[in-house]
Amino acid sequence: MIEATQTAISHPEVAKITSPSGVEVFRKELQSRLDPNAPLIIVCCGTGCQAAGSAEVVDKFKQMLSGTDWNGKVIPLVKPTGCHGFCSRGPLVIIEPQDLFYQQVTVDDVEEIVNKTILNNEVIKKLQYKPANSKEVIPKASDIPYYAKQTRLVLKNIGKVDPTEINDSIVRGSYSALASVLTRMSPQQVIDEVANSKLRGRGGAGFPTGLKWESCARQEGTRYVICNADEGDPGAFMDRSLLEGDPHSVLEGMAICAYAVGSNRGYMYVRAEYPLAVKTLNIAIHQAEALGLLGENIMGTGFDFKVTISTGAGAFICGESSALMASLEGKVGRPRPKYIRSVEKGFRDSPSNLNNVETYANIPDIITNGGEWYKSFGTERSSGTKVFALTGNVYNIGLVEVPMGISLMEIVFGIGGGIPNKRALKGVQTGGPSGGCIPIPHKIPDINVGYGKLAEAGSIMGSGGMIVMDEDTCMIEVSRYFVNFLVEESCGQCTPCREGLIRMREILNRITQGEGREGDVELLTEIGNFTNNFSLCGLGTSAANPVLSTIRYFREEYDAHIRDKKCPSGVCKPLFHYDIDAETCTGCGLCKIKCPVKAITGEKKKTHVIEQALCIKCMECYKNCKFRSVKIM
Amino acid sequence: MKVLNIILNGKAVTAKMGQTILELAREHDVFIPTLCDSPALEAAAMCRLCTVQVIEGKWPKYVTACNFPLRRDAEVVTDSPDVRHGRKLIIELLMARCPTSPELQRLAVDYGCDLERFTPLNDDCVICGLCTRACEAVTGRTLSLAGRGVAIHVDTAFQKASTFCIGCGACVQICPVQKIKMEDVDGERRIILHGKIASRVKLPQCTSCGKYFGPVIDLKQVMERMGEHLIPPPNATVCPECSRRNLAIKLGKRYFEQYGVFEEEGQANAG
Repeated sequence: MIEATQTAISHPEVAKITSPSGVEVFRKELQSRLDPNAPLIIVCCGTGCQAAGSAEVVDKFKQMLSGTDWNGKVIPLVKPTGCHGFCSRGPLVIIEPQDLFYQQVTVDDVEEIVNKTILNNEVIKKLQYKPANSKEVIPKASDIPYYAKQTRLVLKNIGKVDPTEINDSIVRGSYSALASVLTRMSPQQVIDEVANSKLRGRGGAGFPTGLKWESCARQEGTRYVICNADEGDPGAFMDRSLLEGDPHSVLEGMAICAYAVGSNRGYMYVRAEYPLAVKTLNIAIHQAEALGLLGENIMGTGFDFKVTISTGAGAFICGESSALMASLEGKVGRPRPKYIRSVEKGFRDSPSNLNNVETYANIPDIITNGGEWYKSFGTERSSGTKVFALTGNVYNIGLVEVPMGISLMEIVFGIGGGIPNKRALKGVQTGGPSGGCIPIPHKIPDINVGYGKLAEAGSIMGSGGMIVMDEDTCMIEVSRYFVNFLVEESCGQCTPCREGLIRMREILNRITQGEGREGDVELLTEIGNFTNNFSLCGLGTSAANPVLSTIRYFREEYDAHIRDKKCPSGVCKPLFHYDIDAETCTGCGLCKIKCPVKAITGEKKKTHVIEQALCIKCMECYKNCKFRSVKIM
Repeated sequence: MKVLNIILNGKAVTAKMGQTILELAREHDVFIPTLCDSPALEAAAMCRLCTVQVIEGKWPKYVTACNFPLRRDAEVVTDSPDVRHGRKLIIELLMARCPTSPELQRLAVDYGCDLERFTPLNDDCVICGLCTRACEAVTGRTLSLAGRGVAIHVDTAFQKASTFCIGCGACVQICPVQKIKMEDVDGERRIILHGKIASRVKLPQCTSCGKYFGPVIDLKQVMERMGEHLIPPPNATVCPECSRRNLAIKLGKRYFEQYGVFEEEGQANAG
């Protein structure tokens, strides 16, 4: 039996790294112990895959491997990693070095994988990925369009490293940027390099990161470096994946920032709903401190940087920078009514540099490869890449990292694989509750994703939520959903945001109930503009965006609801009914079988009829009809 | 100190560095309506009624006059149609919450509000936060804003009658919509919020006339703050009225006893 080579690096007997050059020495040493051709079973253990049972899959693999006769072969290592991004296909298993991609793997498949693929190099067809509308499987992970069409800079380590094992990250280059910063760069040079990269804040507002660091470095007194990991947009999980899959990039980015702005205290504000991220981060900080890569006297250079994790308590508003800092101080998480930037007076009234998780995660690469290299991705005004959480009515759901300036249609159809169930694309919502709907492809043919272009279209970049909507989406219901979310999540202290949202919800509620009045759209616009102009914080000043953007692009849908009392998308239940089209109905009887309330009658091969009084509008017949004979009336 | 050149509603004026727009406007008799502002408290900028437009550089932006510090030369417009329109909406929205406030009613007339536009809400608090800020300044935290978003409201900790309250009545006095009530019953002072007792503070009974007076903790705090100037004994047992009367009798005796106007001690007290 030959001992697996990788296990050797899991148990370092290395003392603290005492000089910046020691990182490279250590990395080379770890690398020399690695066999690139050794078999490796990578199991995605992101939150999505864990929910689908990947932790059990890992256990089963470990159990199987120890119980198998290896006959002199190298025992493969099982590596649990962070989120690969392809969440709708989870749990994912990738077999290295062949780069074999298996999807939706259950505990029951493990035995087969070990016996066939690992021992006999045989491929298991039923677990392989097949794109929509195709009969050909794609065996290799790197060939799957979903991955192949992405540009993974920030996500480069996720799915490759075991986030609970620092050596795994160091092999892939973690902390080498920090080492070079500490040896060959002055704080000003770091700031200049970041400014040169034209990196803009990935939290949504897009403030130039270099400029922020520079103004923080100019301040006097104790400075703080804070990481905003209070990701609360519905459907967005970029930050969570980064923290769970590659915590060391974020920590390294924070340490570089601390060096640049002259701070030695860092805080990480993670939302309490991310227990796995908190756990992974704690392990990561502990391991980095043990190696002397964080904490006191980093790499023997005398530079101290201590990171503390602070968890939120479930408030969306705490993602707003001043509310976050209030919450960090132990106060109620409400935005601070002060016209003074937090780089001047923030946490504990001291200069504080707050950036988003993804912003920090970009820093090590910018330092290693230079700002010029970073600028080669993306566009003139929006450089680099952006991670989006692609969700909604799209075939491939998950995380995608794309260069700025990419066409939105390419994201939806190229990477996302298009719209399922033969439906048509109606629009894409970006930026979460503060963002807007972009009506591609009908009203705007396409849009290049960037800070400026999205703002022009009435939406925002936001932190990266991207919800794809098909023709069965009611835009009034969408804006009602977001307004409802904000009514609960606004802090409630300022009048325009609190009262404005209450009234917008009231109006949207009555429109979707079929009680909309003439003039409601004008009133919504009036309140919306008022809320956006008069509110206290960023949440309030963008709260009406979902409403205003849907009015801007889908006015006719509002009119249909208010004047004709019809919901053309068949969502608002009081405003439509289903009817079966006699001309196209083949009488196959599928709708009759699917109907849960037996409201559909009809003989085989004859037109079926819906008994309206019984119908509960559950959509089953509409969804299942192969001939699209069920119509929304 | 650097003097700033400000154009306030078209008129050139000067301002001190860091001065708020509201202070500057008041200096020049320019009226800006406010609801949540009090000269005794730090600005909270919650009601947003004092929103004005300021142009520092190219773009006009909306800021609240009560807490926007002037830090460079700027142009300030306090009454543009856009600003007036926004204020009108604030008043309409708050009137729908709290239609009985005389202050709001007056503003509603000034701004030509249409009070039919929004259906009334079953509430009578405008969430200006004055009571909570006043309370914070006096006692720490008896009253605070609880809840979030639509559910925000003024409350005591854990919705229980507070034990921190000193019964000073600052919240009652400062409330612009007279929502918080205070009553002295059965030897205790009650602060009543949302029709619910928010705190009970024991009142001392006057040993002379038998009336209840001043909350105990309040008196104790006053005594403590008086320090060496402590005049009444720490355990005040006589109400202010009786104490005044007793002093008057003492003085009266000194000056007028010779004229024989005082008869029996008991009779004077009874009067």
